[in-house]
Parts: sequence; structure tokens; C-alpha cells
Amino acid sequence: MRPAPFDYRAPDTLDEALAVLGDAADDVSVLAGGQSLVPMLNMRIARPDLVLDLGRIAELTGVERRNGVLRIGAMTRQRAVETDPTVRAQLPLLPAALRHVAHLAIRTRGTIGGSLVHADPSAELPAAVAALEGRVELRAAAGARVLALEDFLLGPLMTARAPGELLAAVEIPVPAPGTGWGFAEVASTHGAFALAGAAAVLRLDRPGGVVEHVRLTLLGVAGTPVTPDWVAPALAGRPPAEEALAEVGARLRDTLEPRDDAQVSAAYRRRAAVELAVRVLRDAARRAEGQAP
Amino acid sequence: MPSWVGKSLRRREDPELLTGQARFIADIARPGMLHAVFVRSPRPHARIASIDVSAALAMPGVHAVLTGDDLPEATAPQPCTHLYAGQRETPYHCLAKDRVRYAGEPVAIVVAENGYLAEDAADEVDLELEPLPSVGSAEAALADDAPRIYDDCGWPDNVVGEFRSEMGDVDRAFDEADAVVHERIDIQRLFACPLETRGVVAEWDPYGDELTLWTSSQILHIARDLLAAVMGIAEHRIRVIVPRLGGGFGCKFHFYPEEPATALAARVTGRPVRWVEDRLESFLATVHAREQIVEASMALRADGTITGVKAEILGDMGAALHTVGYGPVWLTSVMMTNAYAIPNARVHARAVITNKTPLGSYRGWGQPQANFVVERLVERAAQQLGIDSVDVRRRSLIPPDRFPYKGLHHVFDSGRYENCLDLALETLDYDGWRARQRELRAAGRHVGIGLSFYVENTALGPSKLLNAGGVQQGGYDISRVRIEPSGDVTVYTGLCDMGQGITNPLAQICADHLGVHPDSVTVVTGDTASCPYTGYGTGASRGATVGGASLMKAAGALRERVAKIAAHMLEASPDDLVIEDGRAWVKGSSSSVVTFADIGRAAYIRPIELPEDVEPGLETTAAFDPPQMAWPYGVNAVVVEVDVDTGLVSFLDYAYAHDCGTVLNPLIVDGQIHGGIAQGIGQALFEQLPYDEAGNPLFGTFMDYSLPTTMEVPRPRLAHQETLSPNIPGGAKGVGEAGAIGSPAAVTAAVEDALSPLGVRISRTPLTPSEIVRLVEEAAARAPERVPA
Amino acid sequence: MRIALTVNGRAVQADVEARRHLADVLREDLGLRGTHLGCEHGVCGACTVLVDGEPARSCLLLAVQADGCAITTVEGLAADGRLHPLQEAFREHHALQCGFCTPGFLLTADHLLRERPDLDDEAEIREALAGNLCRCTGYHNIVDAVRDAAARMREEAVGG
Repeated sequence: MRPAPFDYRAPDTLDEALAVLGDAADDVSVLAGGQSLVPMLNMRIARPDLVLDLGRIAELTGVERRNGVLRIGAMTRQRAVETDPTVRAQLPLLPAALRHVAHLAIRTRGTIGGSLVHADPSAELPAAVAALEGRVELRAAAGARVLALEDFLLGPLMTARAPGELLAAVEIPVPAPGTGWGFAEVASTHGAFALAGAAAVLRLDRPGGVVEHVRLTLLGVAGTPVTPDWVAPALAGRPPAEEALAEVGARLRDTLEPRDDAQVSAAYRRRAAVELAVRVLRDAARRAEGQAP
Repeated sequence: MPSWVGKSLRRREDPELLTGQARFIADIARPGMLHAVFVRSPRPHARIASIDVSAALAMPGVHAVLTGDDLPEATAPQPCTHLYAGQRETPYHCLAKDRVRYAGEPVAIVVAENGYLAEDAADEVDLELEPLPSVGSAEAALADDAPRIYDDCGWPDNVVGEFRSEMGDVDRAFDEADAVVHERIDIQRLFACPLETRGVVAEWDPYGDELTLWTSSQILHIARDLLAAVMGIAEHRIRVIVPRLGGGFGCKFHFYPEEPATALAARVTGRPVRWVEDRLESFLATVHAREQIVEASMALRADGTITGVKAEILGDMGAALHTVGYGPVWLTSVMMTNAYAIPNARVHARAVITNKTPLGSYRGWGQPQANFVVERLVERAAQQLGIDSVDVRRRSLIPPDRFPYKGLHHVFDSGRYENCLDLALETLDYDGWRARQRELRAAGRHVGIGLSFYVENTALGPSKLLNAGGVQQGGYDISRVRIEPSGDVTVYTGLCDMGQGITNPLAQICADHLGVHPDSVTVVTGDTASCPYTGYGTGASRGATVGGASLMKAAGALRERVAKIAAHMLEASPDDLVIEDGRAWVKGSSSSVVTFADIGRAAYIRPIELPEDVEPGLETTAAFDPPQMAWPYGVNAVVVEVDVDTGLVSFLDYAYAHDCGTVLNPLIVDGQIHGGIAQGIGQALFEQLPYDEAGNPLFGTFMDYSLPTTMEVPRPRLAHQETLSPNIPGGAKGVGEAGAIGSPAAVTAAVEDALSPLGVRISRTPLTPSEIVRLVEEAAARAPERVPA
Repeated sequence: MRIALTVNGRAVQADVEARRHLADVLREDLGLRGTHLGCEHGVCGACTVLVDGEPARSCLLLAVQADGCAITTVEGLAADGRLHPLQEAFREHHALQCGFCTPGFLLTADHLLRERPDLDDEAEIREALAGNLCRCTGYHNIVDAVRDAAARMREEAVGG
């Protein structure tokens, strides 16, 4: 379990990295945190000609708030985001989801951008960012473009990133005050890949009032995170009571179409996802009511 | 005499392990050493059309690429030590010749300057295989039209071994029974999975006459003897060294193809060669375990007394018998009465060949399967009769006054089984939990309580019994004890330290029996050049019992010589001496003392000080062959809660009561039990190695093979009782496998109890989240009215 | 490629291929064999070392990525011939059997207790250690050892 040979470049700036990427005729693997890529290198599943390491590009790291949006550099370590005071205060869903990403020793190296680009359907971060209506900024030598996460994630391990592009940052609008959140997943053992999971944000029009905003995203039930567009209309204007949440659950049960694999049946993923969806909506509602931290 | 036995002495090896100074197989480095990797079959069954190694050989830094065609003419197939009556041979070589029979079978060894280059070259070996029809399950192997995996050996079918055993009048017991229950149980394939994979380092002396082989093995001398047999060289020309082992749990109790193949590579290249199994390889190349299908029935009287048991056992051995024959399947069959005085029993076991990784040893061998089946039947019977399964067990446990008790195959030595059952119930607060369960159920929670009773054969074993059963190994152990000129003591044993800490209880035993402080005792393991022959290797929970007993004999004999010399020096009678803490004096007169250093000096340097009838030197060797085995037993008592929507099982409580006779070192005994329970929980809930119908492995990384973490393993509350074994001097019974045997059954019973209001019945493991939800939904489909909407 | 590391406080240099992972550099090139490889895909945690003070899998880190970093391995824990309080506690509580996973646990716990010297809660300790697999102990004694070491280190800090 040792990687096949490859060339290696570790530029100091994003422009340099884009230039390397633009010049490269060969198969390039972009190394962010390496927590998914290096296992694939060790197993020789990935055999790139060139590994482009973004680890020395300072401009790709850091969290900043600008105009109601948190911008997180793609190379910011998951652990840094998890412990960042601004993130914890304004996007508490994100650290809650990150806590489920493998284990600390993985999150110290794993990056926000790496996880999004890897696009594993069972990953926590894409689902959380989708629930938060996050966008990604892609940079190429020719310029930049911004995509909603849903438009970026195309399928299992597939994204809209073009060969000459790098993910530079993720931008997440800071939810309005009083927005509750919930995150839950089930894995066979702690830190293992999620078998199913759910993330939700929910806001009420006033304490004890009715749902004003809600967004629910499920993971592990399809090739990308699933954010059903009917959840908001189904709950809007209603108190987040058990009956309403159960309706969402029932409709999910009828509409989700997960697939069987060697480890888990489709029936399991459906049932677990429905249950977790209801739980995270309930948690989000309780937090929106100020009944939970 | 102060007793060191029974004390929780801290382990002698820990400082070395804690500071990173210990040397495991991957840490062995020799001057000029090369690195090997294996090319393995990607297919479950195929004819080898060609292997082109020329491109690989041409790569820089590559020293050799060997295939089955390069094996010397005299190379013998991989041997078995366990030759049960009628067991067929499954000849295969350390590098496949002509045909591969499982995905992962080694076909070539590539040797290069370093591991990276060796892997690069292995990628360039061009292996052309012609696929053959293949078999992915034991049941498929039995089909009339199943591909014959050993048709080249003239086999008419895929059955490699078959065993029947019977006692009493089984048909009558079933005819006259008030209740009969029947189950088909599927126990999954999994494996021991020590954190350290396997490895081999081979080095020949410059003249190619003598081989030193470092290997991660639990069977020191057996590995040497089998290697000698395979390579056609004399044993004394091979020195086997076992370095620190990062766990064994049985899977290193085997002689593997990589051992001769690496030795051959070292001979061909004239350089030391190291091979270390990587984790992906380990899922294919290290023996698997457990997998069986058992159809079993139990006959009972209305009061719950068990009167008979029948079992039809089908073991999936994978593609070849591996060292221990079909031993685990055989053991399952003869353990089918568990700890119960069941007068009538009939078992029929068949072991079949499939195109999967060979199956072999793992903590408990065939016993966890037998325990699981019998305890499932007990639960089923209790449900049918409407009585508590605790009472079914209580009624049939072998009572104390019937020992030694002759069962289906074995003679059980001693025990207070019912006492232990009560100890477990008390430790768990069984009645209290039943009351809480009612409340929690009323609140809509799925809480279950489950028990299992296990008995375990340890101190393997009487050589006559083993040999008569076909085992080409003894069951004795030999210890050598030496007092050095300094007065310090060295113990040599053929047992291996896999991490279980065997050297510690041995030092304690030696200290007691020789009259020294355990800190003055060094225990040497793992080197055929210095360690005495071990009959059976380190397995079957036999190290501290059989090895310990041989050490007692050796140390006791040496003490007599010490007493003679000391008495001579003190001008007293040996019978009047006190020997303690490395010193001897006349009882009641401690002013005049002779130390072991004085005695050592006399024995080696100044024999003039020895009495006339004592020879120079201070060393004794003694063997112990147990007259019968020793039988510890115990109870797992478990409380779980099941989330029926996510399928997650969480533990609310875990009690474990057991009796392993004399406890030599409580710290180590508890540690063995903790570890065994964690593995049993892995079996019950998480671990599996599924294959598709063609024999292609579906799992093969730690991403799909889930080992339990800190978060899944509950803290067991342990309770001990001590009933000595009459068969083992000192009364100890083995404990190495204890925790792993009964835990799967108890956890399963608890999960079933939690889900029983939904009508769930469990007959297979592991109970993964997906499996739990399947069971719940299946029960709902069967009886929709039971499940609240 | 030439890289410079500080390993257990000592500056070292090594010539490495880009594909060589840090664990091999530590073990094979620098002779620090206390870092063990149990899976080489980042799950088991046996190869955990501290990189600039934070735990990381040395099997998932190319050595070139670590150029310029400070690395702590298990060999760097004991000082002046004295075991680290974690090492003492591991021995006292029988928190190791085969010892293969132990270096990874020690470094994970070392980081944990430096970040959370106040830690005394079993559930939190369990969660923090969940990324390290042990096949021998069932974990309980490891959890106890870490908890006890935390208490010892607090006492020493007060006493010192």
C-alpha cells in the first residue's frame, strides 16, 4: 500500500497553482488535505502523473465575514472551521456536522474544499453546506465563477469543476437570527461513513409562531445530497408540530429512492433517512424556539 | 511462602511498548535487506494461463520475481497439523501452480530494493487467468451441479471432511419431548484482525546452509517444523524467531504460504528479505473464521429440562484447509451440548470447500458457534414454553456433584455452574432490570435483556487425546528454568507472547515455586534456538495452564537442588530451610543466610562449594502433559436498547460472571475478558466478510469492515468465582478465549428480547443497523398489527 | 526532494521521493519505529503522530507535505528517562496488551489533555479516542488511564 510514482508541485500562490494546472497535459490530482486522496494513492486506485499540493497557498485558508456571508477558504482545515469562533456563533450547523467527519486526526488535515470537491454522497459537509444554501467559488486562469452547491455536485465523486479550475472558497449566507438547526446521522461505528443523515435549518416568524423558513437536506440516499423543494411549502405557515413533521416524514418515505449496496439496503437508508429528517427538523424547531442550545 | 500468584503485578514489557522501543516484525531490519510483495489472484477460481514476469524483472531495483514454476522440485504443499479421520487433502503450494482457488491466493513474489519499487514491479507482472466456474457459499458447494473445486484431485464433490457423534437415545428423546424447537442459524464469516498484520523476514547464512526466519507466529516450533517439511531441509538448520506480536487471536496460529515463499526469495537473492502484509492483503491472505450454517433442534420437557439436541453443521472452509484442518467445525459439533447435562445428542458436521479465503482459527475456534446455536435454542424453547430462559438454563446446567462429567466428547472437570449463573444475575441486578424494562417498554422504548452461559475447553490438551483424534501435535508444554551465576533466573518457554502478557504469570509462578522475587525472573520466548519445544503452540487458552504447570515442575525440581546446595552451605537439612525472595536460611534462624548469588557462584564458578551428589550448573527442564482439559465457564448478561428506525443498538448494562479457576494475575485476566467481549460484540453487531455468489470478496478495507471503537464497547462489570481445576497443578483454567465465546449469543438474545414485542426472531449475525431494520420490517410484514403505525 | 523536519525537538533532513509517506520516513529513514502502520488508509490510528502539535495520520501525509513541520512521535513523550504521566497511567491501568496501537493512543491523548487539561468525563474521553482502534483491550482501561493521567497532570501542575 504505497503510492505509484508521481510528480509533485506545491506552489505558494493560487495563480501559480492555476498556471501549473493549465500547463499540465497529464492526469493531475489536486491534493488538499489528502484524507481521501492519499488513501486512494496508497491503494493505487488513483495513479496521477502529477500531484498538485495546495497546502502552501496561504490565500486559500481562513474564515471571514463579509456582507452577511461567511467565506471559508477552500484549504481551511475542517478542524479550524469546527473551532472557529465566528463559525460556531453564526453557523453552528457546520461544526455540528463536522464533528461527524471521521475523527479529529483526520479533521486536522482534511479541508473544507477537499471534502466538497471529493463529493462523496455519504459525506457530512456537502449536506450541511447545501442545507445552508452555500455556494462555491471556482477559479481558473481565465477568471472565477460562483455556483450554488447543488449545481456544483453532479453525482457520486463528480463535480462541475472543469480541468483548469480550482475550488477557492465556499460562501455561506449567515442565517437570520433565531434560525434553528439540526444535524444527525447514523454510521455503523463512530466516525465511519454515514449510512444516512440529515441536516436542517428552520426559522419561525415569532416565538411560538409558524415556520417562516425551512430547508432540509439528506445525505446517503442518493448520489448527491438531496434537498427536497417541497419541504418549505409543506411546512411554511404552520407550527412545527409533530403532526406536520410526520407528514414530511411520510412524504419522504414515498419519494426517496436510495439504492442497495453491499453494506446497507435501500429500505434501510430510506427508513433511517426519514427518521433522521424528522429528528433534525424537530431539533431545528426546538432551537428556533430557543429551547435547545 | 509468599504467593506472587494472584497478584495484579504490572507488566514487565510495558515500558518498552509505551516508549516505542518494542520491535515488531515490520521493525526487523537486516543489513542488505530486500523487500517483498506478493502478486495475488484477483479471481476466485481460474487456471493460470501464463505469468509473464519479464517486464517486472527489468525494472530498476528488482532482484527477483518468483512464481510457482520457480519452486524447487522438492517443495511440498502447505501442510496441515490437524488430520481428522477421513479428512481430504487440499494440496496447494506457497505460490500457486497451474490453478488459483481464491481471490488473494499468492501467485508470485516480487523482491526489490524497497517496498515502493516492489509494488511498482508487482504492478508489471502480467498474469493471465482463464476463469473457472466458482463457488461462493457452502450451500452452493453442496449443490449437485456445483463446480468441483478439487476435481484435479479426483474429488467427487466439495466435502473435505465429515464428522458424526452421538450419545443416548436421541430419537426417543425427541419423540417423548413436550416441546421441540428448531432453528437454522447463519454465522457470518469474519476474521481475527489483529491491529498488526502478519510479516516474515528471512535470512540465510552466507553458505546457504542455515535459515533464520522471523515470523509473526503463535506456533514457534510448529512453524519451524512445517517450514522444514515444505522446504525439504532439516529442522535444526532453521531458526525461527518470533518478535513482538501485535495481537494474534488465533489467526497467527497458522503456517502461511508467505513463510516458505519469503524464505525461498531470500535464498534465491542471497539477501535478507522482508515481507509485511498490508491491510488490504490481510482481508484476503489471513485466515478467516467462524462461518457456518447450523440446523439444530432441541427437545425439552414441559418444565424446561433439556432432554436432547440435534445439529446439522455446515462449515465453509474456503478454498483449502489451512494448518488446523477443519478443526473449528469439528469443535463446534462436539460442543453442541454446551454446559448442560443433555443426555441425548446427535451431531453431524460437514466441512466444504468454496472459492474463498481459507478459514481457520480465531479466539474460541468452533466454540462461539456452538454456544450461539445452543443458547439461541434455549431462548427459543423458553419462548415456546412460556418460562424465563434463565430457568431453562438453571434446570439443565451440569450440577457440581456430577463432575467429572462425561459429555458428548469431552470430560468436564469441575464447576459450580448454577452459582455462577446466580452471580451473574446478581451482578446485573436481573430482577431490577426486568422491572425497569417493563417501565421503559411502557414508555415506548425497545429495551432487552439477554443472557448466555458458556463453557470453554482450555489447557489443550492431553497429547493422547489429540493424537488419537488425528492431530499431529502434542498437547504438552516444556519449560526450562536456569539460575544464572548471578543468582538471577531465566525461564525459557516455547509459548509466544502475542500481547496477552504470558511472561508475567509465568514469572509469578516461577517466583512462587523457586522462592525468588518475580523481578529477578526473565522469561525468554520466541526463539527456537533457546526455547524448549512446545507441543501445541500458543492457542486454545493453554499457555498459563499447561505452560505454567510445566514451569511449576521445572522450578520445583530446581528448588530442590537449590535447597541441597544451601543446606550444604548452612550445614543443615534441606527440609529445615526457608527459601524466599532469592535467599535461603534455616527456619527460625535468619541470621545466617545464603543468597541465590552464593548458590549460583557455587554451581558455576566454585563447584568446590557444592555437595558431593550435586552436579555443576543450575538448570532444569520439565514437561507437563495434562491428563484432561480444564473447563472455565461463565455468563454474559446484557441489557441493550434498540432504535428501530436507525437500527442502532446501544448497551445499557453488561455484566459478566466467570470462573477460570485460580486467577494468576487479576489485572491480566480482566484484560483478557475485556478484549474477548469486545470481539464478541464485534461479531454480534459489526463484523462480516461477505462474498458474492462467485466467491468475489465484497469487503476489504476498514471502511467496510467495522471494528468496534471506544464508543461501541460497553464497560462490562466483572464478577469472579474460583473453582480449581483438578487437572492442572495450581488449579488454573485458561482464560484467553473466554470473553469471545458467550458474548455474541448474549448480545443477540438481548437484541431479540428488545424487539420481541414486535415479533422479531433472530437467527443470524451481524446485527448491523441495516439488518435490524430488515428484521423489524419483516416482522411487521408478518404481523402488521403488532407494530404501532 | 530534500525536506527539513523537527522531530521530537531535533532538526533533521531527509531526501525523499514525493510519494513517500511520513510514516515511512519516520520509521525507515529516521529509525523511529514506534510509529506503527496498521491500515495505511487512515482508519486505525496506529500511525498517529503530532504535526505542529495536532494529531494526524502519518500514513495519510506525504513527507513532502510535512516539510518544515514539527513532528512528535511516541519516542518524544518520555523525557529524562522518565515515563510521561500518560505512559505511567497506561502501565498502571493495564491499558495496553500487544501495544501495537498504543503509540497512536498516547499521542491522541497527549494532544487531548493539552487541549483539555480539565477533562474528567468518561464520555468525552471515549469520543476523543474513538479514532484509534484497539483489538486487545476493549478500551476501558485506556479510557481509565487517560482520565487518571489527566488527574495526575493537574496535580503535578499544581504541585510544580
